[in-house]
Amino acid sequence: MQSEYKIEARDISKAFTVNNDYIEVLRNVSIGVKPSEFLVILGPGQCGKTTLINCLSGIMEPDRGGIFLNGEKITEPGPARGVVFQQYALFPWKTVLDNVAFGLTVRGVDKKKRYDTARHYIDLVGLQGFEKSFPHQLSGGMRQRVSIARAYVSDPEVLFMDEPFSALDAQTRYAMEKDILRITEQEKKTIIFITNNVEEAIFLGDRIILMTSLPGRIKREFPVEMTKPREYTDERFLELRLAISEDTELVLDS
Amino acid sequence: MRVFINKYVEQLGTVVSFALLLLLWHVVADQVGPRYLPGPVLILERAAQMYSEPIGGNSMWAHIGYSLRRVLSAYFLAAGLGIPLGIAMGWNLTIRKIANPIFELLRPIPPLAWIPLAILWFGIAEGPKIFICFVGAFAVFVMNAYTGMRYTDRLLVDAARTFGASRNQQLFNVAIPASLPSIFAGVQNAMSMAWMCVVAAELVGAREGVGFIIIQGGDLEDVPMIIVGMISIGLIGFSLAIFLRFLERVLCPWRRDLHQ
Repeated sequence: MQSEYKIEARDISKAFTVNNDYIEVLRNVSIGVKPSEFLVILGPGQCGKTTLINCLSGIMEPDRGGIFLNGEKITEPGPARGVVFQQYALFPWKTVLDNVAFGLTVRGVDKKKRYDTARHYIDLVGLQGFEKSFPHQLSGGMRQRVSIARAYVSDPEVLFMDEPFSALDAQTRYAMEKDILRITEQEKKTIIFITNNVEEAIFLGDRIILMTSLPGRIKREFPVEMTKPREYTDERFLELRLAISEDTELVLDS
Repeated sequence: MRVFINKYVEQLGTVVSFALLLLLWHVVADQVGPRYLPGPVLILERAAQMYSEPIGGNSMWAHIGYSLRRVLSAYFLAAGLGIPLGIAMGWNLTIRKIANPIFELLRPIPPLAWIPLAILWFGIAEGPKIFICFVGAFAVFVMNAYTGMRYTDRLLVDAARTFGASRNQQLFNVAIPASLPSIFAGVQNAMSMAWMCVVAAELVGAREGVGFIIIQGGDLEDVPMIIVGMISIGLIGFSLAIFLRFLERVLCPWRRDLHQ
């Protein structure tokens, strides 16, 4: 079936049973992301954002509804969808170079080819010179750069970023936001970016989807029509920020 | 001087600790007399003698060789069977469900409780000694590999899945490397376990080995011989531990900084 969307969640619901408590995490969520769109999903701490990403990436299966990539239903993860995890999820026993090359190793690409590709993306995220370092020798910001490079190496059609900067200090976070903007302009991808930070959402998103707290549902959509890069002090930036803040139960953090 | 102390503070601590032990030993030995506890000097003399003259037809080095051979045969056999079993228990639910209850039941039985059965089954030659060491080391290998697999970060496996890693790739490229630190803890503990077991097994009906030296010393009421045997056991166990730690540093380079 032909679809205008690159990736689409159709009416998905998901619940968990934790210690005999039934927790409804997602209720009838539908999202469509157009090719090369940078979609930001914004929501409070506990709103099923990560569960939504896990369903979209195929790590989890929704209880009801389906996920469609280019109109085809998908039920498991695959290299066409890259994930940048909140806690980096780097392999501690692999060097930066081998971490970044992992997606190609799995596919059986020969050593020279995969290292050349990995080096290209290490350069792209600004980590040249750290190829031989192990993850524990790097700062949080650098680890997340490795994770971004690793996701890019597989050349995925869709890239998910699950609160990638939430563990970083404000300075590093701002630098990373600017870098992700540069990287995504340089190598266009369809991106779904999750955050609980309004400024980050407005700074990066082509469109912002606001979620409610549990059970997670879609509350509202905000198109962002300013050209990038955007200024935090721009009048339209501030207006949108106010509009979103008034419409949410967000606890505004850093 | 202060810089010197700061730089060598760890070595200095070791030296002071040994000096205190020797001093205490000397003082106590002096009080109770050499019949019960010979002093350090006497022991040193006896050690020099024991390491140059044969005891029970074998040199001291040959006795150590006997014990080491028993330990190593059992150790490698236990590693070869135990580590794969532990990994399989961690990775495969069916194997876990079947093997785990058996393990929980057998684990509280100390390896030494197997000695009578081992002698009945394997006679009195090398068989029972190797078997006892095997029993001790095997359980340690299995449990450490299994624990490592169970505590593998789920997120790392998920990350590998997003790259399309097959089930086998998830096992060999993620779960097993992630378990290596725990497996290596097993490699070390199994060695000290096997070493302890061999000495105990040799106390019962052996004609060679370091355990035999101690028993021989007891039979002859040769207290220095007992103590030289005990110290030899300690030093060999210590050397094996150092060697394995070195091996881990070579094989798990990403853990190097964590040790410091």
